[in-house]
Amino acid sequence: MGCTKTISKEGFMILWKILCRITLVLIALLFLASHVSFAAPPPIVIGVPSSFKSIEASEGLKAITLAVEEINAKGGVKVGNEKRMLKVESIETRDMEPGVPLADALLANEKLILEKKPHVIIQGPTRSEVLLAAMDLYAQYKIPSINNAVASKFVDQYKSNPEKYRHCFRMFDGKYVVAGLGKVMEKMNKEYGFKKAYIVVQDAIWAVGIANGMNAWYKANGWEVVGFDKYPTGASDFSSSLIKAKNAGVQVVFPIFDMPQSGILVQQWKDMKVPAIFAGFISPLMGSNAWKTFGEKIEGVINIVFDGGNLPLEKYPPAKKFYDAFTKRWGEMQVGHKPAVDYDGVYAMVRAIERAGSLDPDKIAKELEKTNMVGATGRIHFADHQYVFGDDPKVDAISAVYQWKKGGKRVPIYPDSVAEGVIEKPASMK
Amino acid sequence: MFLSVLVYGFINSVILVMVALGFSITFGISRVANFSHGGFYVLGGIFTWYGLIKMDLPYFLSAILSILIIGALGALMYRVVLVRLKGLELSEVIATLSLGIVILELLRGLGVFGYEFRNPVFIDGSVDILGVGVGIQRIIIVCAGALLLILLHFFVHHTKMGLAFRGVAQQEHTALSVGINPNLVSMLSLAMGSIMCALSAVLILPLGVISVDEGYDILIKALAVCIIGGLESTIGVLVAAFIIGYIEALTSMYISSSLTSVVPLACMLVILLIRPSGIFGKSKEIEERV
Repeated sequence: MGCTKTISKEGFMILWKILCRITLVLIALLFLASHVSFAAPPPIVIGVPSSFKSIEASEGLKAITLAVEEINAKGGVKVGNEKRMLKVESIETRDMEPGVPLADALLANEKLILEKKPHVIIQGPTRSEVLLAAMDLYAQYKIPSINNAVASKFVDQYKSNPEKYRHCFRMFDGKYVVAGLGKVMEKMNKEYGFKKAYIVVQDAIWAVGIANGMNAWYKANGWEVVGFDKYPTGASDFSSSLIKAKNAGVQVVFPIFDMPQSGILVQQWKDMKVPAIFAGFISPLMGSNAWKTFGEKIEGVINIVFDGGNLPLEKYPPAKKFYDAFTKRWGEMQVGHKPAVDYDGVYAMVRAIERAGSLDPDKIAKELEKTNMVGATGRIHFADHQYVFGDDPKVDAISAVYQWKKGGKRVPIYPDSVAEGVIEKPASMK
Repeated sequence: MFLSVLVYGFINSVILVMVALGFSITFGISRVANFSHGGFYVLGGIFTWYGLIKMDLPYFLSAILSILIIGALGALMYRVVLVRLKGLELSEVIATLSLGIVILELLRGLGVFGYEFRNPVFIDGSVDILGVGVGIQRIIIVCAGALLLILLHFFVHHTKMGLAFRGVAQQEHTALSVGINPNLVSMLSLAMGSIMCALSAVLILPLGVISVDEGYDILIKALAVCIIGGLESTIGVLVAAFIIGYIEALTSMYISSSLTSVVPLACMLVILLIRPSGIFGKSKEIEERV
């Protein structure tokens, strides 16, 4: 006879309760386990406080975003034993807009620091005097920063108290424009015997600073500077300078402008048939689209790209790689200053964090000082907390100078390490 | 060098006339100082650019459409805002200035910065005038300016609507008594001033790149010309524009180009000190005598 066991109703209820409790405990354990094992560590926040209505700053932010996307796609940043993603938090400081007080721009910086709590800052304020003031803020909150304003006094301020400003670093300095264009002037002197220049400059601190530097260079190198004219932002007639340059038989017109109206200067140069070459910095003529915008009138103009990586240099593959990645992600690059060095800045910062193995600002700053990496702009390393610029991208970061040539091609002519062509006289001089 | 001053001083003076005429016409008829002039100027350029570049419209059509839209905006501004503030001069100024700033900063916020915002010149090339090379676009501006003045003279003196405009400008209540609707005329004067503003933008902006900050510069220039010439006087605008244009050219050539932006403001200050109603201004003449 078989023996059958029957479970009483009470027994069934006890069993059911036990099963329910076990299930609940299992679910709770599962939840805790999943939470512990899969919760991503908080991201590393990169603060970008800048004036994004300035085209340079806006394009720079795109380059920072590109670098962050690339790094995150590869799994993030190794900090000690864990991988952490990067996150960009930007704030509009409006410091390049006319009439915006320095205090307002600083307030925006502080708001970013207090609300978004960035671990590091890249790019920083656009206007030089805002950066100099913000250095105190970054020192107060101990935030490692690699800044990008062309403030001529950055190094002086850093050197005035290296301990206080130990977290502040900077990418570009206006003196490198003078150095780069000085070499181009030497080439023109050697090639064509040019020795007479006319300086036409936007009446802005950064531009006049560079023009003063170039004026000193001309004088030190035996050139004759026939005129030095400053134009207020918004000027739309440059005929007086051009006619004076033409009458004096000037061979080189040296412009430094980033205002939108400065394209008029080049049009008037052609209209007035001034037999001189334009060599300097005119921001509206920088991007590859400038040929479409201004047409053949810009043929022969020589323009300096502050950060060489903003030009697709065939002879320096990292620059071309960055340029191609940028244009693929964002379309046309319109500027010659900020994107490439900002992009390099993110990588320099990330590597410093990885070497430091922590987000401790002092450790990151120490590691940043040791930076030595191949970047889009050349080899990135610091002296006095400032990127070092030179002539060879395998050794230092570089500026690049190009000339607009027939068909709308931007041909690099300096430095020799990346040059793809030689300086040609414009049609008005032939 | 003097010939260059002569040629470019003349061209720059006509550019100032173009920029200030719309502001002056509006004030002369409706007594509204339209401080959104700079906003309308940049908006006129942007609409043309958008039609031409983004919608692939023919240049002429895009320019005409943008001029008409700006004219309609001017009329709408009167109908919706200014008609309620009639007689409250300070409120009118605050309202138009606010609208101008809103337009400009909205454009900036929408991404109108950078170098792609450029309307091409109508005809590329240059000609020699008195041995000085001048771009054809500048010649077109001068011709258009002259034509505009002739048309304006004809309109004001020989058309029914022009006479109505003059009637309201001279004595609003009397005009009303002969069946002229001052509100309608004021609205049309706003539209006409805005059309002139947009027309100047279509003609002048191809010389450079469209930038939001230009709206502020244009407003200051228009204001300077109108205050120096007399706010409601077309002849005053003409004379003041040539005074400023030539002083700017002479300053740039013989003193310092960095002082050119100071010239309109300095001239305005001098005129306000010695003749507050401007060279050809009438409105405060009696008060000044007292």
